[in-house]
Amino acid sequence: MIDPQGDRRRDRESEPSTEAFGTFGSRLAFRTRITLALVAAAVVPLATFGIVLVASGLLGTDTTLPRLLLFAIVVVILLAVLAAYLLAADLTRPLRVIAAAVDRVSAGNLDTPIEVAGEDELARLAESHNRLAADLERRNRELERILQAVEASSPRDGVDWLVGRAAADAREAFGLIDSAIVLGDPASVPAEETIPGEPRPVRAELRSGGEPIGVLVGHLPATRRWERADQDLLELFAREVGVALRNAELFARVEAQNVQLLELDAAKDDFLRGVSHNLQTPLTSIRAYAEQLAADHPDRRLEIIAEQAERLSRMVRQLLTVTRLESGSLRPAAEVVALAPRVRRAWEAIAVQERPFSLEDRSGGWLAIADPDQLDQVLWALLDNAVRHGGDGPVDVEIAADEVAGRLRLTITDHGPGVPEADRARLFGRFERGGARRAEDGSGLGLYVSRELSRAMGGDLVLEPAAPGRGAAFSLYLPGEPPLE
Amino acid sequence: MLSGGTTGSYGTNSPRILLVDDDPNLLVVLAEQLREDGFEVTTARDGTEALRRLEAAWPDLLIVDMMMPRKDGLSLAREIKERADLPIIVLSAIDAADSKANLLEEVAEDYVTKPYHYPELRARIHRVLRRLGDRVPRRSLVLGPALTLELHRRVAIVDGRPVGLTPTESRLLYSLAANLGNTVPTETLLARGWAETEDADPSYVWVTMRRLRQKLERDPNHPVHLLTVRGIGYRLVATGDGSAAPGTTG
Repeated sequence: MIDPQGDRRRDRESEPSTEAFGTFGSRLAFRTRITLALVAAAVVPLATFGIVLVASGLLGTDTTLPRLLLFAIVVVILLAVLAAYLLAADLTRPLRVIAAAVDRVSAGNLDTPIEVAGEDELARLAESHNRLAADLERRNRELERILQAVEASSPRDGVDWLVGRAAADAREAFGLIDSAIVLGDPASVPAEETIPGEPRPVRAELRSGGEPIGVLVGHLPATRRWERADQDLLELFAREVGVALRNAELFARVEAQNVQLLELDAAKDDFLRGVSHNLQTPLTSIRAYAEQLAADHPDRRLEIIAEQAERLSRMVRQLLTVTRLESGSLRPAAEVVALAPRVRRAWEAIAVQERPFSLEDRSGGWLAIADPDQLDQVLWALLDNAVRHGGDGPVDVEIAADEVAGRLRLTITDHGPGVPEADRARLFGRFERGGARRAEDGSGLGLYVSRELSRAMGGDLVLEPAAPGRGAAFSLYLPGEPPLE
Repeated sequence: MLSGGTTGSYGTNSPRILLVDDDPNLLVVLAEQLREDGFEVTTARDGTEALRRLEAAWPDLLIVDMMMPRKDGLSLAREIKERADLPIIVLSAIDAADSKANLLEEVAEDYVTKPYHYPELRARIHRVLRRLGDRVPRRSLVLGPALTLELHRRVAIVDGRPVGLTPTESRLLYSLAANLGNTVPTETLLARGWAETEDADPSYVWVTMRRLRQKLERDPNHPVHLLTVRGIGYRLVATGDGSAAPGTTG
């Protein structure tokens, strides 16, 4: 496992820790040294004066005496100043060491303790300082672990997992013997008393939006100190855990709703598939029997039965397509299709033999890339639309290849009144039938489904601008490929 | 290797079809139409009856309705596929663009969307029967370090990435893989890939093969797996580490 903190700590340990910071080298106690300094300050001048007096007495009254005396005084003063300087330097050195150590701590360097020798007041001061630095470092480490734990938690992990994880994080960060998170009213977990010599209980409430949602409890080794700052850190941790738990809970709720929606959507799809299938089965029989009968006894009425059964089938299919388009469960297969025979077949399927029809194929053999089943739906809808709104005029289809753009254009033109300006914008909307004029027939889904299907196949469906001498003209664009080996 | 395969010739016996549908009307009219076209037809009203009929005689092809009471078409198809490789055509409201289509393709050779036209169904039956001689022994066909085919789920693994295949593309690859290393004539591929009602001509094969190359080859301009045999047809070859030599992988 990777423990970057550990690495960092080891790096620090490998550094020489005592080099420039000095130690408490003196073997004499601080008090002794002050006494010595005071004694030196008081005794040296007095002793000097006495020595000079004694010396002058021994030597008698000589003329050299005043000069000697002067010389001696100068020497003694120099010696006294030197002694005082040295003593002062020795006295303030430990204070300077401590000052430097405090500076280091305030700069964030917590792991270079002062080396303590002796047991005097300054040594105790140094020990307190070292303890302060160690406590600060431990809490820093705890804080770092807490932050890491908070950072590592994701709402995706789920409440149960987060609870277990947070308890383990608390153990690791605070050095607890055991820990647990109890969700619910914190009052349901009675506070334990601290018994000297026994593991010390700690606790902090988990809150979310001001409301208590649980409690974090645990035990410290009996020997560990637990200060106000430690409790503050534990509460900070508990607060973060509370927030993380609430997020996880909200996330889980949203996820559950998503799953439910997806299931509902899938159930709806299945239901519609079933309905569609169950409608298609009898329609297939009706059409098959009508066609069989018509083959034996030609009768226009039998043909109409077959045609209408077919038409009803197509409408059921269209409804299924709409729901699939909307649920995003429609994935057209990109197959190779020649448009002209497909159009001819679709024209035969919608069965209006008496209507004039022309098909001009200028595709040069280019093949469209489309899903044949979905393409049929588009062609049926567009041809049906042209037949229904084209009056009694001819329906013209033109197919052309745009070799530069690599696509095919199929334009279906009728010779009816065309689409009024007011209806053009909303023609492709759901359940639009081009205004009241078109309200008499169709499901209103044909153009909507056709455009959506065209786009799903990487193409498009557009209404061409109105032009004199013709009715409505719709152009279907599809990706195309040249017919080369 | 099976040769081109012409419509309606399946040796001396007429092909036997087991038709399973819960709608008696459909069963009667469809069985009648199939018999008129020279098929030998037995019918079953549901999955249980179908399994009983299978114990008595094994047909060449099963046509099954997807939605039936008791045992639906998909479960029946799965059960049968576990026992033997009987080609199955499923009648359903599902088409190739449906999200459930892949599910169907794992067990069914083909599926025909209701409402179907009889000529279209007949063309699909012919296409499936033409494929009977082709056998790809392994589900996962390693063709080289950068290409593996998993045709049962219509996927090619190209450089570790799954690439979806269309129904037609996987049919062509199936046919090529069954003749690994050998040239398959364009006409044969045409007959395997498309039903007669689809008005396909050789340009369909050319364009589909070109698109397949774009999907499967690292450099479509210098193909190593899908080779054109100019004027004749196409060849699927295994390359690379030698363990994928023809004959060992397919």
